[in-house]
Amino acid sequence: MPDPSSIADVLKEKLGAESVLEFKAQRQRRAYVTVGPAFIKDAIRILMEAGFKHLSTITGLDTGSEIEVIYHLGDYSNVVSLRTKLQRDSPELPSCIDLLPGASLYEREVHDLLGVNFKGHPDLSPLVLPEGWPSGLYPLRKNHTIEDITKRLDAPLNEGGQP
Amino acid sequence: MSKGTSFEIPIGPQHPALKEPESFTFVVDGENVVDVKPRIGYNHRGIEKALEARTYLQNLYLIERVCGICSHAHVFCYSQNVEEAAGIEAPPRAKYIRTIVAELERIHSHLLWVGIAAHEIGFDTLFMYAWRDREVVMDLLELISGNRVNYAMNTIGGVRRDIQSDVAEEVRKGLQKLEERAKYYTGICTSERTILRRAVGVGILKPADALTLSAVGPTLRASGIGRDIRRDDPYGAYDEIPFNVITHDGCDVASRVIVRLGETLEAIGIVRYALEHLPEGEIKVRAPRTVASNESVSRVEAPRGELIHYIRSNDTDKPERYKIRSPTLGNILSVCKMLVGGYVADIPIVLAAIDPCFSCTDRMAFVDIEGEREWHMTGEELRRYGIKWYEAKG
Repeated sequence: MPDPSSIADVLKEKLGAESVLEFKAQRQRRAYVTVGPAFIKDAIRILMEAGFKHLSTITGLDTGSEIEVIYHLGDYSNVVSLRTKLQRDSPELPSCIDLLPGASLYEREVHDLLGVNFKGHPDLSPLVLPEGWPSGLYPLRKNHTIEDITKRLDAPLNEGGQP
Repeated sequence: MSKGTSFEIPIGPQHPALKEPESFTFVVDGENVVDVKPRIGYNHRGIEKALEARTYLQNLYLIERVCGICSHAHVFCYSQNVEEAAGIEAPPRAKYIRTIVAELERIHSHLLWVGIAAHEIGFDTLFMYAWRDREVVMDLLELISGNRVNYAMNTIGGVRRDIQSDVAEEVRKGLQKLEERAKYYTGICTSERTILRRAVGVGILKPADALTLSAVGPTLRASGIGRDIRRDDPYGAYDEIPFNVITHDGCDVASRVIVRLGETLEAIGIVRYALEHLPEGEIKVRAPRTVASNESVSRVEAPRGELIHYIRSNDTDKPERYKIRSPTLGNILSVCKMLVGGYVADIPIVLAAIDPCFSCTDRMAFVDIEGEREWHMTGEELRRYGIKWYEAKG
């Protein structure tokens, strides 16, 4: 069975010591590892080769200063949360659906809610947001409060049918 | 596909009176489904955003309402997630009580599903029987928690209600009846001709596809893959309770029926064992109001499969971020795979077979790809169409 606590060493060995920015094995069966955006796809591939092939989901997160994208990969027993941090203006990552076809809807969800552009995804059309949702309004971004969002949705429609 | 013979059939999205709405556009060639495009989100209520604006205690009540059928699974997952981030642990008795309610919820969910699946193939007698018997477990849940759904059993640090010995005795009696009925349904579902005709070889999901698409729960286990969070990543009291992970290798709708009925029987065994071995002691520990900066991933095996929650805390009484991925989302790509290559008449039962929080086939438009013809059908009409199609086929 693959061991999540050794995953940082495996990544460093294959991608170089500079690839891994943070690592913690929080408890049994849980590890959190942060890599630079340039390494994300190679890191996913290496984790899959190590046996972590089940993608539970992808979490997108706005800390207010940067966007984090976290891939929760596992072998059902363990969960390795592979994180990368992106600039808030035009965050972008390569799509991983060629490695993980099951990532397709999760990438679309993160795109909808946080505006992360997954390059190479064939269809980033809205998945969870309604038709006519204002473009560029990413509801999980910290600068949009619930009140702001409500106000924009209540505004009269423009010619494009958007509030 | 050649122009003029292929049609796009949008199915969904809404029936507000029932469960979660979703929409699927089917590209069909005659009776064959060629491609499926899912569109979800019609019930996206912005709960993750709302969670960031509420305290951990308030969020208990919001999380309980993520799902009407598996509300306990969500709040079980949430409670242990916040507990891990806050560095506290629920007492053993609380873990057992959480586990007991979780398994009773699984029994109610699976019996509900047997009824829905029977209805989809036109076997309404079985639908009525299954739902009548489901009332037995609903009564037990009400006896324990005071509620038929949204049990509100959990709090951060434990549970809010104890299970006394007189209640435990009533639960045991109810389990006796449920066991008899579950065994009876297992017999029916593996021998009755109508069910076999509509379920065997229908909605195939090969093991390799199930793994590639990261399928979860009974959908995955009915493709012969024995993965179950309760055993593989134990939580609550599951590391102390013996049970079997039920699998079947038919990869079809019939296998999904067999797996769920097998799991119902296992769940009865788990509840019995847990009641027998219920540890003495406190049912909750005191939880802090604020949670220091931390993060945690929590998973439970909900009735529909792996449920995963992620929390980021930030030294306040509200989460920085709370992420939920319900099992149905994990199975949407798999159900699309099952439908491609199948018949239009099989759409209702194949969709139902992942047990989605889904009920939206109530309004459909059939549109040919050149836009020359357009007509509408309701989900009920599609269901009847499926039944008639099989009758005509003999």
